[in-house]
Amino acid sequence: MTDVTITVLPAAPLHALEIWSNAAPVAKRFKEAAGFALPAIGCSDGNDALCLIRYEPTVWLVEGDVSALPGILADDGALTAIGGSVVRVQLSGKGWRTLLMEGGVFDAESPNFASGCSAVTIIDHVNVRLHVVDDDICHAYVPLSYSEAMIHFWKTAALSLTL
Amino acid sequence: MINFSFDGKTYQAEKGDTLAAALLRNGIGLVGRSFKYHRPRGIMTAGVEEPNALVTIGDGGRSEPNTRATDVFVYEGLVAKSQNRWPNLSFDIGSVFGLAAPVLSAGFYYKTFFGSAKRWMIYEYFIRKAAGLGNAPTKADPDHFSQRGAFCDVLVVGAGPAGLSAALEAAEAGKRVILVEQDNILCASLIRDGHDRDGAWVEATQTRIRAAGGRILTRTTASGYWEHDLVTLTQRIAEPGQIPPHGVAQRLWHVRAGQVILATGSIERPMAFAHNDRPGVMLSQAVRTYVRRFGVVPGKRVVIATNNDDAYKTAYALKAAGAEVVAVLDARPAPAGADSGLPVYNNAVPLSTNGARHCLKSVTARVNGLTQSWDADLIAVSGGFTPVVHLHMQAGGTLDWNDTAQAFVPAASRQNVTTIGGAANPEPVFNVVPVSTPKKSFIDFQNDVTLSDVDLAWAEGYRSVEHLKRYTTLGMATDQGKLSNMAALGRLAEKQGVAIPEAGLTTFRPPYTPVTMGLLAGAGAKDAGAHVRRLALYDVHAAKNPIWQPLGYWFRPRTYPMGSETLAQAAMREAKAVRSNVGMTDVSTLAKFEVSGPDAAAFLEIICATTVGKLAVGRGRYTFMLREDGFVFDDGTVWRLDENRYLLTSSTGGADRMATHISYVRQYLCPHLRVSAINVQEHYAGIAVAGPQAKATLAALIGEEPPRHMSTVPAMIAGVPVIVLAASYSGERAFEIYVEASHAGPVWAVCEAAVAKQGGALYGLEAMEFLRIEKGHLVVGGEVDGRMTPHDLALDKMLNKAGGYVGASGLSRPALFETGRRQLVGLEAIEGNIPEGAMLVTGEGASPQGHVSAAAFRILEGGSIALGQLTDGFARHGEELIATSPTRGQMARVRVVAPHFYDTAGERYRD
Repeated sequence: MTDVTITVLPAAPLHALEIWSNAAPVAKRFKEAAGFALPAIGCSDGNDALCLIRYEPTVWLVEGDVSALPGILADDGALTAIGGSVVRVQLSGKGWRTLLMEGGVFDAESPNFASGCSAVTIIDHVNVRLHVVDDDICHAYVPLSYSEAMIHFWKTAALSLTL
Repeated sequence: MINFSFDGKTYQAEKGDTLAAALLRNGIGLVGRSFKYHRPRGIMTAGVEEPNALVTIGDGGRSEPNTRATDVFVYEGLVAKSQNRWPNLSFDIGSVFGLAAPVLSAGFYYKTFFGSAKRWMIYEYFIRKAAGLGNAPTKADPDHFSQRGAFCDVLVVGAGPAGLSAALEAAEAGKRVILVEQDNILCASLIRDGHDRDGAWVEATQTRIRAAGGRILTRTTASGYWEHDLVTLTQRIAEPGQIPPHGVAQRLWHVRAGQVILATGSIERPMAFAHNDRPGVMLSQAVRTYVRRFGVVPGKRVVIATNNDDAYKTAYALKAAGAEVVAVLDARPAPAGADSGLPVYNNAVPLSTNGARHCLKSVTARVNGLTQSWDADLIAVSGGFTPVVHLHMQAGGTLDWNDTAQAFVPAASRQNVTTIGGAANPEPVFNVVPVSTPKKSFIDFQNDVTLSDVDLAWAEGYRSVEHLKRYTTLGMATDQGKLSNMAALGRLAEKQGVAIPEAGLTTFRPPYTPVTMGLLAGAGAKDAGAHVRRLALYDVHAAKNPIWQPLGYWFRPRTYPMGSETLAQAAMREAKAVRSNVGMTDVSTLAKFEVSGPDAAAFLEIICATTVGKLAVGRGRYTFMLREDGFVFDDGTVWRLDENRYLLTSSTGGADRMATHISYVRQYLCPHLRVSAINVQEHYAGIAVAGPQAKATLAALIGEEPPRHMSTVPAMIAGVPVIVLAASYSGERAFEIYVEASHAGPVWAVCEAAVAKQGGALYGLEAMEFLRIEKGHLVVGGEVDGRMTPHDLALDKMLNKAGGYVGASGLSRPALFETGRRQLVGLEAIEGNIPEGAMLVTGEGASPQGHVSAAAFRILEGGSIALGQLTDGFARHGEELIATSPTRGQMARVRVVAPHFYDTAGERYRD
């Protein structure tokens, strides 16, 4: 068995943040309030209270305290709760990259897919969002309805990865 | 030593033996029977090109027919069985087909099996009995198959000396490298051929490749080369029939490579002469492989037949192993090999062999125009080398003719692929024209195609190589012509009087070697190709032992039987509970989209064909959506939750399609709108409470007056915030409660207790279907089948008169308003029960004028009813028709009515 541990994280409030107009001023307001910039496509950024993962050109997945965001967005965007639809799965250990290649089409083994990177991809026919926390940890955001099957798939696959 | 069995008898093999090597080690020459004539066949090659030694490996669901004995490594307990023989391999009744060979020539099927359809029923029986070699297992495969993606800068296919060197160079240049080899060791050719590079060099090189981050995969075949340098690899984790570690037998790799280097080598060609298919006729390099790699000497008295220098290495290897080389038949006129110390005969080609079922006894040759024979138990032939250009061709590359090597070699590439080593530079050979009788000179051993079959096809007018291939079945079996194609091309060119490249070339298609179906299905092989989507409340339902029903990728409770109830009984009980009291069901799978922003209403009026803009906060409306051609493709409800926030629901089955549609409208048609449309299908679990007592039940739950029909309020149930929508699909007063899925459990529990307190029941999809049919509500995939306009479904009065929605232009086409269109109707049975899916006809033998899209029974009164589509149906109410399903032998007399059988005024769901 390869070195990867699959852990389901507790349910947490998640939101989709979409900006439809005045992107630059919104970004400026956000940076001033949050202390970090809105991450670019394929990236994530955050702090202990708030983490954003950009997964569409105008949409970010937001994890954490969103209380300040409606004020930042004003009429230029919206915040929608989506936490009920997602199960957060932590893949930890050196083998998480190898594991993500199982049934995968995204180059999770690339050294460029490093800490702070994110991706939206298909794994074994299921849409999954990935967020590299550090060299040994990657978070996968899995649709609730597929989470049971995906976790089983990953646990089974992990057994054979060294073969 | 390793124990294995062949046809029920136990033998022993050495570690590292292929099954072919092990059989030869045990003196077994007869391994199989040929496809058509059941001729005795032995082992011809030592690689994946093997056409003869096809066996079934393993037992039960793990058995694998048509496995090449040369491509399976023996493991303890391996079970191998010969194929296409009865009652046994030595005495095969089917060999009588050989006596009929003169009439079983090319095109036999086309010339014989024609006539009336009734005759075909007879032919088919015999053709099916005779078809195929091994038998497919009848039990399910217990193993799993994995699929994995990989990316690399350089993919090297073939780990011979050239491939290994290329991989090392790339890896040490900092490239991400994958090196694949179909054998279980690297550089097996070095053992076969002897080389100044030895095993230590191989070991050191692969260590350096791995140290540089390279990945080396053995027992892995590059089976397909696709667009954009995507190469599929099939990796054997376990040998055929072997119990795999951790249950995974094979892995399919999808490799996207920056560059592909093909070091695939070449395949030795046989020679065409009479009875060249007997056990004891082998390819020269194969013989050398068995001698040097496996320590097995396949014959004691050996004749070598060649048109090149390479076969001399085989002669030396055999001599060194103690065999007697009685003759080297060298087709070249020059006195090559004069100093070899071997009995070399120049200008010599084999004419025929003689022997028994299990072995070879003698070889006859023409030497300088004279016939000469030798007693021999083995003939090792080398007719030249065919570069393995399959992947190059699959990648869209072209070939050049190399006259010196008498072979096609890779030329221009259309993708980033390069061929190196023996595949690019085959050894020079001398062109040999067959001189023996063509009737028994086989060129395609798998399909029993002889030179005379090619001659016959030519005589019957088949000029194109593609036609020749299909007429003779040449190159069509598991080996896909790896040994036969060049011989056939040579013969065709000879007939045409042209050079081989002018005769044409057939197409190389994936896979290079056979790929098992389970591998293509991957992990989904056990689940019909996809994961099952689980409801948020799955465990709650599972505890009640419902009958589950697949719905798209979902599984939903169809009904909750009590005691010994049948499905129909349980569903009817549940439906009656809804009609007379209160019922509760899980509607979580409905598509749901939260649409926010100042332009949300404008956006929804583009998505929906009904008006939305005037909807007050807290109100909802039934809506439907059109494709751009004006046909209805989904329906649902839209709710104004807040000033600039709406909830749009649509069908479960169309959820993904609707998400795509919304994204398309948002991104392409309306990028300017200030709106966000987020898919919240799974964010909210949904619980429907329906029935005359639903209002009272809900009032007790939320502690306030429930919203009136088509209104919505936020509320709290079990301390959890919920959204309550008052909407009815059943035809009764009903509510849908939406709650964040992660908190759905407590809400369901409280609701279920409240329903039970009222004397109500849970209901599933079957009862829901009864209810909605009786009420005349549509279902996407049933009445909404992609061919119906709003007018056909009597929804036209709800269309947004201002237009502007998707499909408005398409809907304006005059043809959509002409008579003769199918229209939604209701059907009442006059006699019999209406079969779902039945055709609607005016009388026996008449053309169908529509069909039954859904059928049920009246819930309280009884009687068979249905919804259907009928040509000009709106104008035919009162007409009597026949609903007939000939395939099921069912029929009912029906009366056309309005498609509403219950509470046509809609009074029951209004306060």
